[in-house]
Amino acid sequence: MPTLKINGRKVAVGDDAYLLEACRAAGVEVPTLCNFDGLEPWGGCRLCVVDMSLAKWDDDWFKMVTACNHPVEEGMTVITDSERVLATRRVVLDLLLARCPETPLIQQLAREYGIEETSYQPNPEPTDCILCGLCTRVCDHIGVSAIASTNRGWGREIAPPFNEPPPDCIGCLACAEICPTDHIKFTTSNVQRTIWGKEFEMLRDPTTGEAVITKAQAEHFAARSGVPMSYFETSDKTKRLEMAKTFEKLQVVK
Amino acid sequence: MRIESKDQFEALQSSAKEREDSHKRKVLVCCGTGCLATGAKDVAEAFAHEIKERGLDIEVGLGVKSTGCHGFCERGPLVVFQPEGLLYTKVKAKRVPEIIEKTIIGQELIPGLLYKNPVNNERIPAYEEIPFYKNQVRVAMRNIGLIDPTDLMDAIAHDAYVGLAKALFDMTPDEVLDEVEASGQRGRGGAGFFTARKWRSCKAAPGDRRFVLCNGDEGDPGAFKDRSIMEGDPHSVLEGMIIAALAVGAHEGYIYVRDEYPLAVVNLRLAIVEARKVGLLGENIIGSGFDFDIQISRGGGAFVCGESSALMRSLAGKTGEPRAKYVHSTAKGLFDLPTVLNNVETLAGIGAIIHHGGAWFAAMGTDRSKGTKAFSLVGKVKNTGLIELPMGTTLRHIIYDIGGGVLKDRPFKAVQTGGPSGGCIPEDLLDLPVDYEKLTEAGSMMGSGGMIVMDDRTCMVDVARYFIAFLTEESCGKCTPCREGLKQMLAMYDAFIEGRGREGDIEKIETLAAGMQLGSLCELGKSAPNPVLSTLRYFRSEYEAHIRDQACPAGICRDLTAFEIMPDCDGCHACTKVCPTDCIAGEKKELHVIDHEACISCGACLDVCPTDSIRTFPKVELAAKEVV
Amino acid sequence: MAEQPCVDLSKTEEILGSYPHEEPSLIQVLQDVHRAYNYLPCDVLVRVAEVLEVPLAKVFSVSTFYKAFSLTPQGDTIIKVCTGTACHIRGAGQLVEELERQLGIGADETTEDRKFTVKTVNCVGACAMAPVMIVGEKYWGSAKPARMSKYIAEGGNDEN
Repeated sequence: MPTLKINGRKVAVGDDAYLLEACRAAGVEVPTLCNFDGLEPWGGCRLCVVDMSLAKWDDDWFKMVTACNHPVEEGMTVITDSERVLATRRVVLDLLLARCPETPLIQQLAREYGIEETSYQPNPEPTDCILCGLCTRVCDHIGVSAIASTNRGWGREIAPPFNEPPPDCIGCLACAEICPTDHIKFTTSNVQRTIWGKEFEMLRDPTTGEAVITKAQAEHFAARSGVPMSYFETSDKTKRLEMAKTFEKLQVVK
Repeated sequence: MRIESKDQFEALQSSAKEREDSHKRKVLVCCGTGCLATGAKDVAEAFAHEIKERGLDIEVGLGVKSTGCHGFCERGPLVVFQPEGLLYTKVKAKRVPEIIEKTIIGQELIPGLLYKNPVNNERIPAYEEIPFYKNQVRVAMRNIGLIDPTDLMDAIAHDAYVGLAKALFDMTPDEVLDEVEASGQRGRGGAGFFTARKWRSCKAAPGDRRFVLCNGDEGDPGAFKDRSIMEGDPHSVLEGMIIAALAVGAHEGYIYVRDEYPLAVVNLRLAIVEARKVGLLGENIIGSGFDFDIQISRGGGAFVCGESSALMRSLAGKTGEPRAKYVHSTAKGLFDLPTVLNNVETLAGIGAIIHHGGAWFAAMGTDRSKGTKAFSLVGKVKNTGLIELPMGTTLRHIIYDIGGGVLKDRPFKAVQTGGPSGGCIPEDLLDLPVDYEKLTEAGSMMGSGGMIVMDDRTCMVDVARYFIAFLTEESCGKCTPCREGLKQMLAMYDAFIEGRGREGDIEKIETLAAGMQLGSLCELGKSAPNPVLSTLRYFRSEYEAHIRDQACPAGICRDLTAFEIMPDCDGCHACTKVCPTDCIAGEKKELHVIDHEACISCGACLDVCPTDSIRTFPKVELAAKEVV
Repeated sequence: MAEQPCVDLSKTEEILGSYPHEEPSLIQVLQDVHRAYNYLPCDVLVRVAEVLEVPLAKVFSVSTFYKAFSLTPQGDTIIKVCTGTACHIRGAGQLVEELERQLGIGADETTEDRKFTVKTVNCVGACAMAPVMIVGEKYWGSAKPARMSKYIAEGGNDEN
């Protein structure tokens, strides 16, 4: 369990923790955008930068690193609010505000760092997408990979193949739900769901009649788990009620 | 023909040297990409044809070889005659019969084909007397220009694989590491990391499977040394990789060659096939029991893939997005396994280092930058080409003594080194000895070795803009500071060159630059501000002229510059011939006049005017003139 | 995807047959495909995704990331103008402009009759011959706008 100092406070964390966890353990908040607990850290937004000095370095020698994916080490010193850390975060937010001038989350974060209006040229076609990659990363994580980043540099965009309804998408909405700026739009009803231009048939709970899951998603899960589709098309509520019926048969052994 | 022991290797070497010596006289025709562009293939074919026709190969023992890049691309096609050591420049295929008659048979020189020293107009016949070659010390490029890169025996006759044989049979892997450490060699791709240190950390990483990779993605515009080495002496690269593999315990290797170098891919592929046939590559190398094989992987056209983690992703079939290097690739690299990645020039030097010893290499160069370095000297310099020199040589020596000075004797303005990650060095720093530390102190860096000479007809704001525009296209787009920052910087530079710059813009750029340097994920983004910061450091007044006066002192930025023909004009018509919009009017032998409405300020006229009668002035003054 | 002409997939099968069926082969396969068809047809990309067992989205991602690939048919002759630093300061921009004047297309565009595509390339490594143009396979060093018609007319064969 390595021990390190975060803003002067000592903490001990697990061997394979990253700096972000150590900061939180020390009660220090570090802003993040592209980080999500449960997904591998990506280090793309650069908002979580902190100043770090290894034990073997001179006391005043620091390196700027991203807290989300930098491993902890015994004797490390971390400063999360040095002048240059704040200045760098400010540049990141200023640039994001230029890209997404009408996005509430970015406006709010920028405001926290003293930026009301971007110093740069605002995007003539404002977007809500901050290219944090969370949507593609969660899609990869569940083994679907229906969407990915396309092009490179400033033209980089998250899109389905050929900019057409993605053949591999199962309509699970994970991408829309994880998106921090609600950029990914979808419509869903008891009968149909549409996302990325693709239409999905909904499966409804046989008891309650409410839509639970898309047929494509149920098929995907059934194929990977061997569990019959009927399991997936029952709602959680129905599953709980079914389970409750079995409690009557339970006997408490004293 | 497989060799299975050190003795057999030495026997092979003897017979290769014998064959080489059997041709008493040789004609070496440079067939590097540069000379090929000016017709070298025809020259080589003409020589081969004539020599055969006249039976000279038997009579005079004359052989002709197509070699790799001699380096003196400006003067190509280049032909060298041995053993005389005579150099002919700008040789055309139709003159070959004449050359054979006069020079080979008649033993006479043809003065018009000799190199003319631009400094004193003297003609110099001997290759070794020409300043361009005389001052070079070739280690990585030792065989280029001397051997036919498609002929393994030719390479062996010139000591290829001697270092490997020594490393396999006379040394332990640890001794190989010690020798490379003693040489003090540092990575020649730009970062300048100590080679031995990198190899050692890979060797120490746990695991059975590891890789040796060669970075042939020479992306710095202006640098072509790696291309020349891969094309002109591919075996030197293979040898270096096998020795590296031996030192770190790897059995698999890849050479990643950028897509834009087709000839390099061809010659490397051929070299691999030949080396495998003879037993110098693959299983049981030279009968030593050591296995190592190499595959070639072509890049897809992305500068960012020169970055090591992006290169490894590309090798794995993915997009070239770098990752944070908090865990080094020597521990987790290609496919998350321990990997050594070295630059082409670095690997090309290894065979020589093992052959002659680390101390031999360390005897050259400076305190912290040992050995020699290849430079591509290009731009507004008289002798453009590829050279290799000891570290510590001064910029002045390179540009003036070897380069012959600035093209057309125009005033020197700056030399740009290190590609898009580097900076511009002004005249008063010309006595800077070239090494890793000194260049970094001056605000630039060594990079790949590209040296681009700039004259007074270069706008430093435009140069910085050029690099920002280049990187904007090459950024992978993963991280915010680089992707968004470059775009915003480009917008600001476009404003400068179009006369829309405002007070406070320079400070804004400096803040953004700091954010990019500290916040970017990889070196592309981190070093992108270098050309900006170095031009601001040494040429701030040019920026101020653009912003405050809407003027471009160098007369390059088209929106800010107008052209005028002065009375010295003798009406020679040279300008009218090159003007793309036909906006110059004038009778022959009379003063010509530019129509400002139609003029697009491209400067073609000024570049060709033999009497220097065309001058530039700020476009804003045009309006004032008109009013009057 | 809908508007592309049908392509002969037998060439694709041949190419796929010569590489291991795994993700690391992707870029090499795409290069061979690009050479065979003069662009990356979407039917082919779907087949490549299938055989190499790489998600189609990732195949598309790689196809659009690298500059070497075009997803639309290119001209019979590709004209590349090097815009590396040395070429830039020796007038590469003027070459691109002259091409625009003569062929009516800019960088990354193809003529109506599909004869030519113009591309800018970031340094081909022939810096000493700046500015450099490559028409088809043929390199033209020290290229001058005034000679552009010659470069285009002589085409890309390396016979001269």
